[in-house]
Amino acid sequence: MATDTDPEGGGIFGGEGETDRDRTGNAVVNWMENLSEAAYAYLLLLPATALLALIAFYPLVMTFIMSLQEDRTRGLEPLGGFVGIENYVNILTGNARLARQFMDVTMSTSFPFIEFGVPILQQALFVTLGFAVISVFFETIIGFGQAYVLDQDFRGRRWVRVAIILPWAVPIVIQGMVFFLLFQPEVGFGSDFMQWLGVFGADPLADSQDSFIIVLVADIWKSAAFMALLILAGLQSVDRSLYDVARVAGASPLQRFKMITLPLVLPALLVAMLFRTMDAMRVYGLIESTAGCTTVPSLTCLVVEAMFGGTRIYATAAAVAFMTALVIGLIISVYVFFFRDTEGGLS
Amino acid sequence: MQAIKDPESGCHAKMGHNTTGHDRSVSLSRRQYLTGASLAAVTASVAVTGCLGGARDENTIVMTGDTDFEEAMRGDDGPSVQDALWDAGLDDDITVDVQASVDDTDQRMQSYQSTLQAGRSPPDIFMMDSGWTLPFILREQTTSMTEALPDDVVDTVEEEYLDASLETARHPDTGDLHAIPLFPDFGTMQYRRDLVEDAGYDTSGWDTEPPSWEEFAQAAADARDEAGVDFGYTTQAASYEGLSCCTFNEVMTTWGGAYYGGVDTLFEAGDREITVDSEPVLDAIRMMRAFIHGDDDPHALDGYPEIAPSTIVQWTEEEARGPFAAGESVMHRNWPYSIGISGVEEEFGEDLGVMPMPYAVSEDEAEFEGTGGSAHALGGWHLVLNPNTERPEMALEVIEAFTQEVVMARIFETLSFIPPKVELLDEFDPDETGPVARYSEQIQQAAEDAIPRPVTDVWPEQSSVMAQEIHAAYRGVKSPEEAMGDLHSRLEQSEADVRGQDGD
Repeated sequence: MATDTDPEGGGIFGGEGETDRDRTGNAVVNWMENLSEAAYAYLLLLPATALLALIAFYPLVMTFIMSLQEDRTRGLEPLGGFVGIENYVNILTGNARLARQFMDVTMSTSFPFIEFGVPILQQALFVTLGFAVISVFFETIIGFGQAYVLDQDFRGRRWVRVAIILPWAVPIVIQGMVFFLLFQPEVGFGSDFMQWLGVFGADPLADSQDSFIIVLVADIWKSAAFMALLILAGLQSVDRSLYDVARVAGASPLQRFKMITLPLVLPALLVAMLFRTMDAMRVYGLIESTAGCTTVPSLTCLVVEAMFGGTRIYATAAAVAFMTALVIGLIISVYVFFFRDTEGGLS
Repeated sequence: MQAIKDPESGCHAKMGHNTTGHDRSVSLSRRQYLTGASLAAVTASVAVTGCLGGARDENTIVMTGDTDFEEAMRGDDGPSVQDALWDAGLDDDITVDVQASVDDTDQRMQSYQSTLQAGRSPPDIFMMDSGWTLPFILREQTTSMTEALPDDVVDTVEEEYLDASLETARHPDTGDLHAIPLFPDFGTMQYRRDLVEDAGYDTSGWDTEPPSWEEFAQAAADARDEAGVDFGYTTQAASYEGLSCCTFNEVMTTWGGAYYGGVDTLFEAGDREITVDSEPVLDAIRMMRAFIHGDDDPHALDGYPEIAPSTIVQWTEEEARGPFAAGESVMHRNWPYSIGISGVEEEFGEDLGVMPMPYAVSEDEAEFEGTGGSAHALGGWHLVLNPNTERPEMALEVIEAFTQEVVMARIFETLSFIPPKVELLDEFDPDETGPVARYSEQIQQAAEDAIPRPVTDVWPEQSSVMAQEIHAAYRGVKSPEEAMGDLHSRLEQSEADVRGQDGD
């Protein structure tokens, strides 16, 4: 777009260079003003890039370097000698110095060829992946449903909108306390009710599986509203006349949804899902305020525990942190890779 | 699709228009944009730097603490700790400012960890939990009090303070004190004397001679049934530090068990016997399983009734105290603060009984050195000098003042913190200082039988592993043998990590 006009524009500016200098009296300003649109954009991006490099990439590199060293729990020096990828090997084989492991899987000769050292819901990687996939799936479905309802015209729509967005307004820790108390047998009805249904055991907040479900439901309850909002924004940008055309052409409601609504909303939907996936991969506060990190260990839980657990294992903490960044990066690149051709411009 | 393309092409047209035609308007907007942006940046940074900084009074010593301690220092409701410090000989010019932080011990540890790692001050004095002072000492982030304080002060502390507390404040290699205990704390067994008496038990001797665990459980069950209350016994068994350091440590020790083969190896990791899967430890778990699950549990110890709700596996201090305070439990294990709340006249008053911890194996019969008999988990807090302080002399003067009896008395009166010279308890009048002083005999006996947790540089990581496995065994997810077997191998790995480090 702009590039079409730039060479031309540059020529014009070049020709009038002298008059420009006369006008501003400043070579730097002149140079800047004579830049092409694209070059000027890059110039403006430079400070932000430098800042990003300083606060994001530099710590990441330092973390990686730390993670290649040895833990030292005594003495003034927090880190020992270079040990290569030993910390990563320990993390990936379930031998890290942590109460809950990143992953603890061994190969076996019989079906299904893998064995879990500890139950799968006590391994941070699988807890986090499972949480992210399931929560984003349900949040998208429910959020889409909510947005679809909100997009219609009906009496009292304003109130329904407020009601739907309400959970999103509740602070995470408050919400965590609500679910914590709900499942305290002496206080809330949650335990008895779920036990009566036969879903939960006697002490759900002490059980990894029950607690995983609790955290999951809490997150879906809260974040579906966020999804609904972003999808609603997408829905409202759809040109209504398209539906009229479709109706005249005899399209069924399903066809209208498949051929008009979905393709047009998809970019907004993908961005929303990307945000939610990133958020879900980082889950920590909700867990810490309900079941606790020992019962439901997420990747962030592991980093916090290694860093602030009390025993100085900074190298292990760095390795876990780097692995976490890597895992999240990989998941995000799935989106970028598979949806690069869509209109959302994720790539 | 058309709907989206249209606005985009509109956008193209607009931008093209701007870049080609009116170069003057472009240059102006660029310059204005830059000027505006940099002005905003400058204003913001000036505002931020203006907010930071701020000097403190040059005669103020900052120490960390919680909000209660902060109020006591200022004397919001009555005589202040500050006055007591001055009475104890602290220079009148020196004031102590308590920087109140969160109540949660883990979070306080985390914030101290970053403060010390960054070499920051203030605070000049830290209040550290006796459960995690040693890791800081081993990381050389503390100063030797034995060297820094005057000899006579050190001598008094060494002679008159509770030994078990001092052990958690010493450098294991040199034996020097690196912290000065502020107050010790002990797990205590509290009970409803009225309910137990009504069920036909004679509790007159329990103040000094506790029942066995078997008798205790029977009394709890009978009193519960007789009085129609919900529970016989509430305690803390969530998977957290309190389980490994304290509640299980107590039960295990009263069975003659130990994590590391006795009390001599508590503070030196790396080369010690791991005895978590020995028979006394397993028996302790089996008894707790009987308390929680009753006869149905194949791993429960015979002859012990079900007295505790299974929910204790998700309870810490306050959740466990709730039912007891509400009159719905006969027995309750907690720290003395709970005595201070439940022992007042408006609550249970004299009906609140406190007994030494029941036990199953006497000291003579215990398998491991120093275990058996009553055992009370040792808690409490220490004062630690920040090595980065800019005012070491003044800070030391403050620490010295804290070793004076007048200050300990004031702290007990205002906060019910037990003095580190435990005998001082005899001198307090319960009518003036609150219900804790009424149980001074039991608390002094608890001090004698105090069992510290095995704090080392790797204790925090070992503690969470212990809590996890003990928790799994309590809940019945694993058999006692399986859980303690797993724990054994995990602890072995952790001990090996420390050994490797010493080899360097």
